[in-house]
Amino acid sequence: MTDKIKNKLIALGPDAWELKETLREGWEFYFIRHRLDQNRVVDTRTIEVVIYRALEDGKYLGSAAGEISPTASDEEIDRLLKDLTFRAGLVKNPFYTLNDKPLPPVSSDVPEPEAMAGDFLKAMTEAAETEEADINSYEIFVSRMTKKYWNSCGVETTFSWPSSMVEVVVNARKDGHEIEIYRNFESGTCDPEQLKQDVEKAMKVGRDRLAAEPMPKAEGIDVLFSGHDAKELYGYFKDRMAASFKVRKLSSWEAGQPICPGQTGDKLTLEALPSLPNSSRNMPVDEEGAAIARRFLIRDGVAENFWGGRMFSQYLGLKESSLVYNVAACGGSCSEEELRQGDYLELVEFSDFQVDPVGGDIAGEIRLGYLHKDGQVRIVTGGSVSGSMTEAMKTMRMSQEQMQVNSWLIPSATRLEGLHITGIV
Amino acid sequence: MKAPFSPWLDACLPSLRQIVDGLGKEYEYVSILATDSCGYNVSISQASKSVSNSNLTTERGCVIRVCRSGLFSEAAFNDWNPEKPQEVLDRVKKNLAAQFRLLEASGTLVYETPLLSDEPLVLFVEKDVEILPEETDLEALTETMTALSDEGMRTIPGAVDCGIRALSTHISKLFLTKNRFLRQSYVYTEGTVVAFSPSKDGDTKLVYSGVSGCGGTEILEGLKEKLAEAPKTMEEMLSSERVVPGEYEIIADPGIAGLIAHEAFGHGVEMDMFVKKRALGAEYIGKRVGSDLVTMHEGALCAESVTAYAFDDEGTLAGDVTEIDHGILKTGICDALSAARLGVEPTGNGKRQNYSHKVYTRMTNTLFEPGTDSLEDMIASVSHGYLLRGTESGMEDPKHWGIQCIISRGYEIRDGKLTGKVAAPLVMTGYVPDLLGNISMASRDLAVEGNGYCGKGYKEMVKVADGGPYLKTKARLG
Repeated sequence: MTDKIKNKLIALGPDAWELKETLREGWEFYFIRHRLDQNRVVDTRTIEVVIYRALEDGKYLGSAAGEISPTASDEEIDRLLKDLTFRAGLVKNPFYTLNDKPLPPVSSDVPEPEAMAGDFLKAMTEAAETEEADINSYEIFVSRMTKKYWNSCGVETTFSWPSSMVEVVVNARKDGHEIEIYRNFESGTCDPEQLKQDVEKAMKVGRDRLAAEPMPKAEGIDVLFSGHDAKELYGYFKDRMAASFKVRKLSSWEAGQPICPGQTGDKLTLEALPSLPNSSRNMPVDEEGAAIARRFLIRDGVAENFWGGRMFSQYLGLKESSLVYNVAACGGSCSEEELRQGDYLELVEFSDFQVDPVGGDIAGEIRLGYLHKDGQVRIVTGGSVSGSMTEAMKTMRMSQEQMQVNSWLIPSATRLEGLHITGIV
Repeated sequence: MKAPFSPWLDACLPSLRQIVDGLGKEYEYVSILATDSCGYNVSISQASKSVSNSNLTTERGCVIRVCRSGLFSEAAFNDWNPEKPQEVLDRVKKNLAAQFRLLEASGTLVYETPLLSDEPLVLFVEKDVEILPEETDLEALTETMTALSDEGMRTIPGAVDCGIRALSTHISKLFLTKNRFLRQSYVYTEGTVVAFSPSKDGDTKLVYSGVSGCGGTEILEGLKEKLAEAPKTMEEMLSSERVVPGEYEIIADPGIAGLIAHEAFGHGVEMDMFVKKRALGAEYIGKRVGSDLVTMHEGALCAESVTAYAFDDEGTLAGDVTEIDHGILKTGICDALSAARLGVEPTGNGKRQNYSHKVYTRMTNTLFEPGTDSLEDMIASVSHGYLLRGTESGMEDPKHWGIQCIISRGYEIRDGKLTGKVAAPLVMTGYVPDLLGNISMASRDLAVEGNGYCGKGYKEMVKVADGGPYLKTKARLG
């Protein structure tokens, strides 16, 4: 099918074009307790074409994207390509060019979905469950993904990667009261030991939540983030370094300048990486045919490289850039143990934790926290945390130790000042 | 005019029947959902412009569901030759056989489910529409949207960008079993305005609003009105302050009322959660969960919105369920498999993100019934509180009935009058029975918004709509 479309594109001869194909071979298993609720096979082929037109003597570039069904007839394909050619003339963006750097061959050695699924099925029966905490339900998603990319500049590549996810709900109960903890573990393939540890950790969080007391008033106390949601804090910095944010004037940061002048906290280093161990996003080439290289986005608190797709990267004058799928954050000046000195509220579980990359607003309802005060630790739940990352980054401190949350490698603890805690008693 | 049903799906029908018949020789239940939905997605801002024929709900594919010995299994695919149904049969049998071998080798036990009902039913629905997405003059649309973006830049204080987005999908779905043959075709459309202005504090304020509904490109006419409201809203956002955390009297506007409906007792009564014993609601059927003023409906028939289908993705006809009647929890909503497990009737709420995703119990239109109060009287009754407007996001907690809503802004009320002060953004949290139990006034208005998507956990995004009147209650704001 893609050969046919490629030949039609060459014959049509637009100013530029891209052709992308994504194959998903997916196996899915849904469980209630440890009984199989449903099994599914997903076998899909997604084909996308982008047609570009140079407009007004090359001052502008128009583009139109379209998905072509693998079942499309010749007539449907011809009609869509004609429509896209017309539509590309409707949107005028300042001119830019497609990727033209040849890509080296990529070796992809990805296990069959069957093999990966077998590992997950086995691993999910091995977590230590007790009468006080056990697994309510889980869903296993295993995919072997294959991406093919061609463009009119002669760039082409094919590569595969594994992408898996286990959604787990665990229950903890005591004296007739039961609570649940929700987790969404993403990875490349199955790491049985890691998965077992993660599930058992979720059960511990559940047991702690049963013992939690209502969040008291705690205005002014430092907040320490040590759970998986902490990656949202670092997502703020990644987004603010996106070329699209810069072009849209949503980020005031400048390359070569400190992201937070006058800051007294730790100086963040944020690095884009082509891969992280067993990440579900280990793709060597981005959606637009650019090789993904190791690149500092922020180094020692100074903005270094914005990142993005072709259009926004060229608008910013970036010579080398790509989309970013894996990120490492570091820069802590002390150990986690040192970071845990004095009074602080450690938050590990939220209904939903968000850091708005546009306004910097931090928001989340607290499901579990540990209030470390006057040498005592109280387990707390309820209430909310809110604040501004714009302010909090001035004094943000990070541990030197790191933890990996799928495509994020981040400090194992991050301490922020000046957040607002709404208590419920 | 009627939105015409997909000729491609009709052409596939003989082949789909052969597949159902073929699998019927080996399985006790067989169904096929085949989809062919086309549309557009146009985005215009000062920084970039794009046009595409795909959005989250455009698709063409099939999913087969089979059942044997109490186990339901599915195969989803989109690369097939309708002239060669035997190839599909062979492939589905081979792929599922491989899974069954693995499951047997791993000693997996099955959660046995009763067979689904397959009562004979034939349905053909083509809903009204004025302008189909595939017949839309995209040149005129992009020009209008560009003019709106430019106008936003002129009128919205300090705007650094003003984005206008429009998407429309013409949905065609065919559901087939041995005894059921259902076809539906309808169009939904939505448009949004989003503007950004830097504040004096160095952060950026955002104003967002939208239009949506069951219909075609004609719905986007409403964007002009939304854009006209944006300058005043941005002025308010730029002068906003942070709220002093605490419990307040609040008046939720219809959009926020809808968000509360969705998060409080929308997710809380999705009955696939009852099967897993993940929802506290199961224990409260017949009990009071809100004040007398709380009556809540859920169903695709409740409003002509973005999710006003005629049948769901399991071939169950759309419904209108009264979940809460004058404060008493009556029932939940249910997909077909969960209904079979619970021994109740499905309510037409079995939805998939698209053909390649599993069905879950999902919301459609979730609405509070209006009351008899006026907004003016409601404001006059507040001693210190906020009138809340602007939905950003929400999160459910059906097991514990906690609720979290991120809200764009709150207009301060003191001694029965709006003070002109605005707090933004707001995190509203509370315990659902308290929040609904404290509802003391409801206005005569009823508005439905459908610009949002809803996830199950953090995945499976589907279109939903929600709304209600202005509601007065109490909540914690932070």
